[in-house]
Amino acid sequence: MTVILPKQTFPGRIVEVTLPAGEGGRSVSVGGQTSLPLMPEGELPNPVAVGIEVRTGDEELPPSLARALGGRGTDPPGLARSLVEKCGARFLFLSLAGCHPDLGGHTVSRGAGIVRDVLRAVPCPAIVGGCGEEETDALLFPAVAEAAPRPVFLSYADEKNYRLVAGAALAYGHGVVSWSPIDINMAKQANLLLGDIGIPPHRVLIDPLTGGLGYGLEYTYSIIERIRLAGLSGDAALARPILCHLGESWKAREAVDSTEASWGDVVDRGRRWEEATAWACLAAGADLLVCRHPDNVRTLRRIAGTPWL
Amino acid sequence: MALTALEIYKLLPKTNCRECGFSTCLAFAMQIAAGKAGIDQCPPASDEARETLGAAAAPPLPKVTVGTGERAVILGDEVVLYRHEKTFYHPTAFAISVSDALDEDAFGERIRRIRALSFERMGETLAVDMVAVRCESGNAARFSRAALAAKEGAGLPLLLSGPCEALAAALPSLGSDRPLLSPSSGEGEAGARLAAPLGLPLVVRAKGIDGLAGALTAARAAGARDLVADPMPASLSEAVAMSVYLRRLAILARAREIACPTAFDLGNGFPFPFAAASLLVPKYGSLLVLDSDDPADLFPLLTLRQNIFTDPQKPIQVEAGIYPVGNPTPSSPVLITTNFSLTYFTVRSDIEASRVPARLLVADCDGMSVLTAWAAGKFSGESIAKILSGSGIAGAVSHRTLILPGMVARLSGKIEELSGWRILVGPQESSAIPAYLRRLPPAAFAPADV
Repeated sequence: MTVILPKQTFPGRIVEVTLPAGEGGRSVSVGGQTSLPLMPEGELPNPVAVGIEVRTGDEELPPSLARALGGRGTDPPGLARSLVEKCGARFLFLSLAGCHPDLGGHTVSRGAGIVRDVLRAVPCPAIVGGCGEEETDALLFPAVAEAAPRPVFLSYADEKNYRLVAGAALAYGHGVVSWSPIDINMAKQANLLLGDIGIPPHRVLIDPLTGGLGYGLEYTYSIIERIRLAGLSGDAALARPILCHLGESWKAREAVDSTEASWGDVVDRGRRWEEATAWACLAAGADLLVCRHPDNVRTLRRIAGTPWL
Repeated sequence: MALTALEIYKLLPKTNCRECGFSTCLAFAMQIAAGKAGIDQCPPASDEARETLGAAAAPPLPKVTVGTGERAVILGDEVVLYRHEKTFYHPTAFAISVSDALDEDAFGERIRRIRALSFERMGETLAVDMVAVRCESGNAARFSRAALAAKEGAGLPLLLSGPCEALAAALPSLGSDRPLLSPSSGEGEAGARLAAPLGLPLVVRAKGIDGLAGALTAARAAGARDLVADPMPASLSEAVAMSVYLRRLAILARAREIACPTAFDLGNGFPFPFAAASLLVPKYGSLLVLDSDDPADLFPLLTLRQNIFTDPQKPIQVEAGIYPVGNPTPSSPVLITTNFSLTYFTVRSDIEASRVPARLLVADCDGMSVLTAWAAGKFSGESIAKILSGSGIAGAVSHRTLILPGMVARLSGKIEELSGWRILVGPQESSAIPAYLRRLPPAAFAPADV
C-alpha cells in the first residue's frame, strides 16, 4: 500500500545570514530554508548552529554550570577559547553582564576591551550581548562596535534602542539581533525599523525572547512557529533566522534547587532543563541556539548541528 | 468536513416532531452544526443521515482510551497541527518500562521508582501515566505475574509488550483493566484477534507509513477497533518526520484509514531518548515509552508537556496570595500584581534582580495581565482594598504602604480611601522595578501608627 506523504511547500524562503569568523575560524551560515524545521520536504541548506555563552561579571553559577565550568579560569579570553574548543561550539555568545552595576560594574571601556581580547583569542563567529541595563548599554554598544576587531552581531536592538544599536552596527559593519517580547507584530515592526535605518536583511537575526522551560516556554514556542510560518508564507519582514538564547532556563527553581531530593540530581536536572528548552525551540523553528552548558552544546551539535536527514 | 446547519437540515426528517428535545428540525440542525447535539438524538433519522452526520462529527484523529477509572489515559482526539490554532487537548502520555526478567526485589524497586515520578508545579500534579511491562523472560506465566504485580504496585494503566502467548496469559486477570496490547513484530494479526473480543486497545507496529497503512487495515479486518500506530523509526529524525506526517494525514488529508494516535518506543537502545521525547512532545507523539526512571529526566519532560498542552486561550494562573521574595522583614516593601503566570514571573524575577527583599501580593484576576484585568474591572480599587484587608498582609508587615503597578496609577486614590494604606506608584514596566526598589528610601516603609 502506498500512502502519499502530505509534504508542505511554501512560497517563501528564509533569508540566509552568515556570521563571519576571524582568521582561522569557520563562518556560520543559517537560514536559507524553504520548509518547516526537522522535515525532509524542502531545501535545508544549513544545519542549526549551536553556540555557547561566556559571560563576564560576578554571578553565582547554578550547581550544574558550576560543575561544568569549574576550573576553567575566569579570564574571559581563556574561558572562551577553552569552552569553544572543548565543546565544539560553532559560535560564541559573549555576554557583558559584568558591566551591569550589580554584577561587577565594569566600565564601558573595560567591557569593550574584553570584547577585543576575546575576539583575538577565539576565531569563531561571535555575538556580543549587552548587560541589560539601559543606560549602560547605550554607551556600551557604540564602544563595542568600535572595539571589535572584526564583524560581530550586537545583541540586541529593541523598540527603544534600535537607532543607537543599528547606528553602531552600520558604522562598523556589524550585524544586529532584533529583539521583541514574545510578540509577532513587534518582531515584524522591529525588523521593518532596522530595514528603514539601512541594516540589510542578511545582517539581522530574530530573538523572540526565549522563555525558560516551565516559565513561559509555551508562549515562545507558539510565537516561533507563527514567525516561521509567516516568513515561509511570504512575509519578508519575518523571513529571518531565529536565535534562541536558553539562559532563561537557568532561572527556573527546578533547574537550580538542590534541596528537593525527589527531583533527582540537580547537576543532571539543570543540564536537562536547558536541553529540553532547546529541543522545544528547535521543534518550533529556531536556527541558532545559545547554550550555557557545554555538554548541551555537544549533544545538540551532534544530533541537530549536522545535516538532519 | 464540517457541514453547515442548512446542509444538516436537508438530511433531517423535517417533521418538527421534537423527539430530539428541540422545537424544530432547523433548531436541532443548528445545534448539531455547533457541535452541541448529535444525530443519535433524532430517532426517526434515516440511515443516510446517520452515516453522513456521524462521519462528519467524528474527530479527525480518533480517541483511544487506555486503562479505566481516574487514571485512564486518553490518546489522540486532536483537531489542529499548531497549538496556536486552537489547543492541544490530550497530553502526550509517558509509559516507563519494566522487564519481567527482573528478580522480585529489583522489580519492586523499579515500580517504586516509577511511582515516585510525580511532581507538583503550578497547582498541578505532573506524573508519568503508564507502566510498560516488557516480556523479556520468554515465559508467559512469569510475564502474567509481573503484569499483575505492576498493576498492583503502580496503580497505573499498563502497556503489555511481548509475544501474543504472553499477552494472552495476562488477559484473564488484567483484561478488564483495559491494558494497551503491543504484540511482537510479525504478530500483528494474532494480536488483533486477541484484542478484538475484549475490545482492547492495540498498538499496530509496522515499518514506515506504507507499512502502517497495510497493518492497520489487517488489524481492522481481524476485528480490532481502538488502534495506536507505531511506525518503528530507526532514528530520531525519522521518528519526528513520521509523527508529523501521520498527524498531517489525519488533520489535513482526513485519511481515516491511517488516522490513529501514535506510540513510540524510545527504550531498548533507541538513540537519544531524551532528545526524542523532547521533540515528540510538541511534535505529536501520543504515547512515549521510556526506559529511564530518573526524575532528572522526567521532571523536565513532564514540565515541557505541561507547557505545550496549556490552552493558549486560557493562560496559566498562579494562586493568589502573599509571595515572599528573598527574606523579607516586617519593614520590607510590598508590591501587588495580578495572577497571570507570565506577569507574576516577570515581576517576581525583576524583584529578585533588585536584591531588595520584598513581598509580592498576587490578586486573583482570572489569569489576566495588569492592564487587561484593570479594563475588565477585576483589578480595581475595591478588589485591591479587599486583598489588603483579607490576605493577612497587614499582620505580616509593620508598615501600611503598597507599591502599585504604574499602569494603574489612577487606582491610588480609591485604594487609599477604602483601605487606609498609602500608595506608592511603581514603574510602568516591570523591567524598571530593580532600579525603582533600590532607590526607595527606607523611610517609605516605617512602621505605621496602627
